[in-house]
Amino acid sequence: MRTDLSHLPPSREGEVRAMLERAGLDLPEELVQQFLAIWPSYEAMVRRIPRTLDRAAEPAHSYRAVRIARA
Amino acid sequence: MDPAFLTIAELNRLYDRRDVSPVAVTRALLDRIAAHDGKLDSFIRVTPETALVEAEAAERELLAGRRRGPLHGVPYALKDIIETAGIPTTGHSKLCQDHVPQEDADLVRRLKEGGAVLLGKLATWEFALGGPSFDLPWPPARNPWNRDYLPGGSSSGAGAAVAAGFVPGAVGTDTGGSIRGPAAVCGICGLKPTYGRVSRRGVFPNTFTMDHCGPLARSAEDIALFLQVIAGFDPADPGSEDVPVPDYRAALNQGIAGMRLGLVAHWYEEGAHPDVAPAMAAAVAVLRDLGAVVEPVVLSSLRDYTDCKTTISTAELYAIHEADLKRRPQDFGRVLRNRVLPGALIRAEDYIQALRWRTVLAREQALALKRVDALVTAGSLGVADRAVPDEPDPLVRVPNITMPFSVGGLPALNIPCGFSRQEGLPLSLQIAAAPMAEAAVLRIAHAFQQATDWHRRHPDLG
Repeated sequence: MRTDLSHLPPSREGEVRAMLERAGLDLPEELVQQFLAIWPSYEAMVRRIPRTLDRAAEPAHSYRAVRIARA
Repeated sequence: MDPAFLTIAELNRLYDRRDVSPVAVTRALLDRIAAHDGKLDSFIRVTPETALVEAEAAERELLAGRRRGPLHGVPYALKDIIETAGIPTTGHSKLCQDHVPQEDADLVRRLKEGGAVLLGKLATWEFALGGPSFDLPWPPARNPWNRDYLPGGSSSGAGAAVAAGFVPGAVGTDTGGSIRGPAAVCGICGLKPTYGRVSRRGVFPNTFTMDHCGPLARSAEDIALFLQVIAGFDPADPGSEDVPVPDYRAALNQGIAGMRLGLVAHWYEEGAHPDVAPAMAAAVAVLRDLGAVVEPVVLSSLRDYTDCKTTISTAELYAIHEADLKRRPQDFGRVLRNRVLPGALIRAEDYIQALRWRTVLAREQALALKRVDALVTAGSLGVADRAVPDEPDPLVRVPNITMPFSVGGLPALNIPCGFSRQEGLPLSLQIAAAPMAEAAVLRIAHAFQQATDWHRRHPDLG
């Protein structure tokens, strides 16, 4: 069974622009162009993350009530 | 006596014998900075008035026979993301170029209580991530071995200043290798302590779950002395560990005969600079000659560790910088902006999956460290990069050999182990151990440095 999302096709430029808009980012076109150039390597990275960990696998930082209360 | 390349340990002995004074050392190093840092740009801000006041106070106390600790009267400098009350702390960024903190970072408080002498604030990649950048209010630092090259990052000024003989020690920060990288390419030592060993309070965040503060110096012994002063529990840092601080210097001379070392060779056997593997083979031979038992260890790939670390970092960084990115994106340097903006498109489930993966990868390291006392591998896959603006960003494309121990939160120390043949630039050995086992890492490094002289070689600034 596939353990990641690397089989998905890269997002198209219009999709990336829409995602930026949904994130509330209204960037000048020059900065959007820079972003469009670098995003594919980040998208590929995120898609390589395995997705089949055990249901109970804990994230590396869990909430620690004592620490918050102490501070 | 020229104090430029005296170690902290040597300064302590000279102060004890009253052969040299903190004021004389401070003045000499300030003069050296004034004479040479125009070529290296390692300092953003030199603080001579503060330095001389602190040096005079230290001198008075030492002459009165009151020694506060191993950094009493010892000059040092701070990466400019570490807050200093009344002294601007800029993050090397236009966004904070007028920021003057009201309070010291916890580690600065400890250094002041220990009588250390602050010479100034050091260049960094923008907010400890965006670099090398040529579009910031201050230029990027240069490598003292060859100023056509960079000193690594993000603790770029710290690496350059210690290697150049401007200060015997400095404090940097390390999220994915930002202490160890500059140490590697500048031919000095740099320790990323265990996550939670040194307080992060008062330090600009990069990645909350992986930020570490630690020393850069010219010997493992000096790293031990520096760590002794800045380590300790801080209840105001949610990541701080309430674990007693041992006497790091006490274990240095125990030798490494019989210690079991796990060599992670597959991380550097492919894709590294051609001189890395031979330098590592020579370093391992030294460790074996000293009595260590070296055996191979196989862990997940650098690609896995780099993906896991960078996904977590990018999501956390975006949360930190989101407001500024929306209000004033042009005030970010290009490199920082383009490394942070992808976090806007990383989904919550991607971030959580990366955090869960981190647990798996960290457990893999913990299991390996049940079989061996420490892990050794290369400190860097290459030599210093050339100082060329607008190079393609390697952060995500090229796997990084310091990131595995960031993912594990383990203590990891880089020490020099040779020079490349073609460029004549430093190469580095990396040693990591179980959480809070800094003493073991330092013991191995000190033994290595008693048998080699790579750490005693210094650049000629002309």
